[in-house]
Amino acid sequence: MQLTAEELAMLHGEQGESLKKAIAFQVEVGRFFGAQRLVPITNAHVMGDIEVMGDAGFGFLEGFAARKAQCRVPTDSNARCMHFDDSIECLRPDPAEEGKERRVVSMLRDMRIATTDTCINYQTVYQPKLGEHVAWGDTGTVIYANSVFGARTNYEGGFSSFAAAMTGRTPAYGFHLEEVRRGSIAVELRATLRDLADWGAVGKIVGHPNQDYLAVPVFEGVRDMPLSDALKQLGASLASYGSMAMFHLVGVTPEAPTAAAAFGGREATSKIVITDDDLEAVYRSYRFAEGAANVVVFSGPQLSIFEMQDLAARFAGRKVAGGMHCFVTTNHAIYSDAERLGYLATLRSAGVNVLRGVCFYLLQRMTDIRAENGWTNLVSNSAKLVNTITAHRFNTVLRRTADCVEIACTGKLA
Amino acid sequence: MSRVIHVLRAWGRSVEGEALAMKEGFSPRYDLNRTTGTITRIGHSCEGQSIRGRILVIPTSKGGVAGGWAFYDLLEKGIAPLALVFGKLNPVMVQGAILADMPITEGWTEDALALIRTGDRLRIDPAGREITVL
Repeated sequence: MQLTAEELAMLHGEQGESLKKAIAFQVEVGRFFGAQRLVPITNAHVMGDIEVMGDAGFGFLEGFAARKAQCRVPTDSNARCMHFDDSIECLRPDPAEEGKERRVVSMLRDMRIATTDTCINYQTVYQPKLGEHVAWGDTGTVIYANSVFGARTNYEGGFSSFAAAMTGRTPAYGFHLEEVRRGSIAVELRATLRDLADWGAVGKIVGHPNQDYLAVPVFEGVRDMPLSDALKQLGASLASYGSMAMFHLVGVTPEAPTAAAAFGGREATSKIVITDDDLEAVYRSYRFAEGAANVVVFSGPQLSIFEMQDLAARFAGRKVAGGMHCFVTTNHAIYSDAERLGYLATLRSAGVNVLRGVCFYLLQRMTDIRAENGWTNLVSNSAKLVNTITAHRFNTVLRRTADCVEIACTGKLA
Repeated sequence: MSRVIHVLRAWGRSVEGEALAMKEGFSPRYDLNRTTGTITRIGHSCEGQSIRGRILVIPTSKGGVAGGWAFYDLLEKGIAPLALVFGKLNPVMVQGAILADMPITEGWTEDALALIRTGDRLRIDPAGREITVL
């Protein structure tokens, strides 16, 4: 790998221990993938919460905090595992872990990280431009950046995004390279997509049988210009089921003015046609299990202000049924705005719990929380969420938004 | 008789251990109880199995950025796998493995899933880009 004089200085420890550790790690990762160089980045998005880091990651981060490590580029933080809201009793975290989580937040701030605690930074924090290199540490944010903005990033998990934030660089492999961004799977959309859940279902149909980080689906046949929230669900689902980091929507996304441009000469390895029947088959594939207590969750990714507005309208004048719990997650910024706009008051009076700064599947102690509450089914309009939360042994069911609201308010599992 | 599988990319030191072969993708967040080290996703081909000290043989990666921190955490808890052998992986698996000093390989020239069964003893030689079924 070719390193600049400044990068070599970092590697030799001339700019301190933290930068030495950071760049040495990046060089190891870059070598695995055959990267030729490091590329400068403008923005980083880090994921660090006590649930996923554990005491090991906590101790590791403390070393950087003690050395007063600083991020070189504007950096924000992903959704956390705790909401610090004692009023929601059924979701209590472990008190000892809560203390550590508060300390993690404080360490991130000392490292010059804006703790926005959001997995929708692309809607609320920073929108990189076509060709801009960034280092984002959440799969849903990565696929949105590559696909919708035409920015360039790989999945940067754990220490990887922190290292990039500190050095201001990342190894040039994967989606930083032009040739990797070309389409490889042809998808013809014949189905009519009416709900956010339909976009997630499309992501599952394409992602699940084609698990491959380097696969890039190219969608044709989109009739109406999709909204940001629809592309958010499509991307999050492709990333979750397929471990994919980029898609093209011909006529919509910036690197796909035409199908030919999207494929860029790369041969499509497979072709998928998606009809209305295929969408219905996805919904039919989920079965409810017998259980007296269940949850309906709107989360994964966090909700935008327009999703909050929509949900408030749907829940207005209604009540969450006995035996049901209903949760919504969003970030601090949207929570504040939704409070000001009255959406939260409407949701609260319907019995809906709104959590801020978290994503539902990230919550600490989730396996125990599920058991304590006796929850059996988790119903959501997020195809990602019904996939990511399964280690905690929920029976998960994907349903359209209107059906989710109906299930929450009637308790009838259908 | 031992058999050799060649891999495309590899990192880490040589290790020898017992295989846990999966039929589908794996994510530490989606499939694993990270307190006990047991695979808990309902219906996973290795549901109920512990990953502790074993060489995980995995066709594809699922998700997810959790692996970036999770392997390091599993190591400190004493329930980490010994090594990771992937058909196709995403970069998070490499980032997480390097942080946890856990040998990792990607790609195989022979069909590793046909050659390796759970319980087989494997030697992983990243420098030589070889896996030997002992």
